[in-house]
Amino acid sequence: MRKLRVLLVDDEIMIREGFKKLFDWETHGCTVAGEAADGMEALAKIDSLNPDIVIMDINIPIMNGLKVIKMSRIKHPDTAFIIVSGYDDFSYCREALRLKITDYILKPVNYEEFGTCIDNLKISMYMENVSQEPEEQEERIINSITRFIQEHLAEEMSLSVLSEEFHMNPQYISQLFKNEIGVGFLAYLTSIRMEKAKKLLLSTSLSIGEVAEQSGYGDYRVFTKVFKKSEGITPSQYRRDFLGRE
Amino acid sequence: MLRMEIALFLVIAFIACMYFSAERKRTQLNRIFSVLLITVLVHLIFDGITVYTVARLDTVPELLNEIAHRLFIGTLVLIVYLFYKYISVLVAEESGRHRYLDHAANIFLVLAEIGVAVLPVHYAVTPLGNYSDGIQVAVCYASVTFYLLMCAVLLVFNWKQLQRKERLAVGVALIIQCSVSLLQSLNPTWLISGAGITLMTLSFYLTLENPDILRAELTEQKMSMKYLKSQVNPHFLYNTLDTIRIQAQLNGDKEVSDLLMRLVDFFRHSVKVNMPMVALDDEMELLEAYMDLMCYRYPELKCEYDIDPELGGVMVPNFILQPIVENSLLHGLKNKGYRGEVNIIARKSAEHDDKMEILIVDTGSGFAEGKKEEIDSMLRTYARHEADMDGSSIGVLNVQKRIKLLCGRDCGLNYTENPDGGVAAHLLLPLKEETR
Repeated sequence: MRKLRVLLVDDEIMIREGFKKLFDWETHGCTVAGEAADGMEALAKIDSLNPDIVIMDINIPIMNGLKVIKMSRIKHPDTAFIIVSGYDDFSYCREALRLKITDYILKPVNYEEFGTCIDNLKISMYMENVSQEPEEQEERIINSITRFIQEHLAEEMSLSVLSEEFHMNPQYISQLFKNEIGVGFLAYLTSIRMEKAKKLLLSTSLSIGEVAEQSGYGDYRVFTKVFKKSEGITPSQYRRDFLGRE
Repeated sequence: MLRMEIALFLVIAFIACMYFSAERKRTQLNRIFSVLLITVLVHLIFDGITVYTVARLDTVPELLNEIAHRLFIGTLVLIVYLFYKYISVLVAEESGRHRYLDHAANIFLVLAEIGVAVLPVHYAVTPLGNYSDGIQVAVCYASVTFYLLMCAVLLVFNWKQLQRKERLAVGVALIIQCSVSLLQSLNPTWLISGAGITLMTLSFYLTLENPDILRAELTEQKMSMKYLKSQVNPHFLYNTLDTIRIQAQLNGDKEVSDLLMRLVDFFRHSVKVNMPMVALDDEMELLEAYMDLMCYRYPELKCEYDIDPELGGVMVPNFILQPIVENSLLHGLKNKGYRGEVNIIARKSAEHDDKMEILIVDTGSGFAEGKKEEIDSMLRTYARHEADMDGSSIGVLNVQKRIKLLCGRDCGLNYTENPDGGVAAHLLLPLKEETR
């Protein structure tokens, strides 16, 4: 897989250093291509570097981050913007959502949780590719594996289940995920399960326990913990925030 | 008619008592209103006197009648002037515009008062009753019209700058005064000017000069001052902590950085203290951050949570769990060298459909001799205790007070002793999600 190129935008050097050195870009298949400390610089770097991912602070000098996104969106429709902000203010969030950003995370940044955010981005890029592929072409193995996972989400799922189903070595399947999608099998599974859970939370009135079960978690406590780790909020907060405010 | 004047006088006297006895800010508006109240009282006295004397023109000495009459009309003009003045100051405060019209109003007042004092008084005698007319009364009508017009101009031109209740007060007062004046001029024998003045004063009293509202504003001001004083800019605080955290992690100290992360979490949640009610999830996050830090400081301290996930959105009073847990730590587990466990359980109440209960169970040393009775009685009679009483129970009392205030009397906090040592705090809270 091609390495994704990242631009870091934050006015505080420590925050940029933290991102650069404390997050393991290598294992997540990324490389930091550049940094910017204010809005103008960010705008120029986005144009010259054409990064795949921009990590963007909102409150930066000269021009705020949302404006930078708005201005570079036209020229760079495929760039993924991840907003990192200290303002847990919903008005920002709402404006950011309109700009089609990939994710919105709050400072202080937990680098482990930030990894989930990158993984999710990759998975959605993979899914986009799959949906764009012409149908008549012979299905790639990874696609049939992911389709199988999608269809059996509520059931017990592991590399050994897959290896039995597809008659392949578990290590090989694991490698397949890393090569084709760029994320590990477990990260993929969790992400897909969370997507399912989020969909269920918003479109049904199932209890949290039932949502947990249908997304493949027997124990709602485990589910709540995983959900919180991946989304930053608990399932019921999620349901409330999105259904209550939209 | 005299009876009505007496009744009106009593009403205004009662209002004046309430007004002057209440604690209030002393702004220019309050001063004008005070003068207005006193003038209205004086006016109503002379109103009563003239109502009595004008009906007995033949028995009351003419001079006496005339003095009472001039004072009656004179105070009436002064009242409409003060009425105008009040609105003028109010508008200037809200819009920041200069009070251009005041000069004209002051000059007009002097001229009108001179006119009232020197122009001849004439009485009309009719079968329906007697009243005064002629040039002196015309001056009075002219000044009322003049000032009401000026008020109307102020109101219309500053409509947008005024708050809703100010518009309401001024508008209602104007309408009352206009219609009463009109009725009085059409039916001179009705003698209802006193009623108009009283109603106008009342409308101001009830909306803008109500002591309860003024006191609330005063307290709010004091509170926000206190709040400002007690706060370092929280953004500065947790941004700096975050920088230190990253530096620690860059230096390879993951432990310090994790601790700082929790501290930042704790601060971020405690910054929200100005909201009276929060979701249980938010309250739990604050508590977890606090407990994580405590558990790190005391490694033999353990904390378990069992929170029904369906309850995450239930609204609870802000900052009620942390003081209780802190109490468990300081008065229960500390005595055991911080060795033990705190269990936090949130579940739907078995007895009440519309309630949930939160249990905070510790394995601490339990209550000292007689302490349980003391706490029980304090929690039962929470209303009688001052919030700023001494010592250790203040946090618990504060929690009890806020639950009772925000959730109703049937909710609240009580303590029991566990069979195998330690105490359990039971919080009974309403099972209600935020309504939007």
